[in-house]
Amino acid sequence: MQTNEQTMEQIAFTMILHSGNARSTIREAIEVYKDGTFEDFELLLSNARSQLQEAHQVHFSQVQKEASGEPTTLSLLLLHAEDHLMSTQTMLDLTTGLIELMEHKFSKK
Amino acid sequence: MKKIMLACSSGMSTSILVSKMQEHAKELGEEAKIWAVGQDQAMKEMEGADVILIGPQMRFLLSKFQQATEKPVEVIDMMAYGMADGKAAYEQAVKLMG
Repeated sequence: MQTNEQTMEQIAFTMILHSGNARSTIREAIEVYKDGTFEDFELLLSNARSQLQEAHQVHFSQVQKEASGEPTTLSLLLLHAEDHLMSTQTMLDLTTGLIELMEHKFSKK
Repeated sequence: MKKIMLACSSGMSTSILVSKMQEHAKELGEEAKIWAVGQDQAMKEMEGADVILIGPQMRFLLSKFQQATEKPVEVIDMMAYGMADGKAAYEQAVKLMG
């Protein structure tokens, strides 16, 4: 969902949109895990990973542009979008790690 | 007077969307109170609104919000949000009010 005509504001909103979708999906995944529907959990977590990848892609394109000499206009909104991106990445990593930890713990018993 | 509340994690992205929605309401000559709140404030202020729109990062709270209020609650349309399109978001809110 990115075109050359997007303004920096729209780029930030697109990043927040995809990160936000990922964040919501991770929370939904945790809920279904609590309910014991592990297949749905795997599916939702995989969806979250793809959604976050989209956010990363938008960000990466912007980084590439900057690296090629096209300056980025910084705004608090863009920094906020990066906050969303990285905090959701942390959520995803932690959720994946904690589930592995739980499964490891319970399989030993 | 249309009262539209937008909610997202910190109220930041929706604040920008609010300004654009206000501009659009002004162009239409419609009186509207549109404001943005963060996740924690949303529950406290929802009764003052006719309609509540939430950001995609709050989608997992949709059913919780719907249970807490009789007012219509919906996630902001993905296209409208991604393009920071105040007109589309305003139209979504008005449509929800019926």
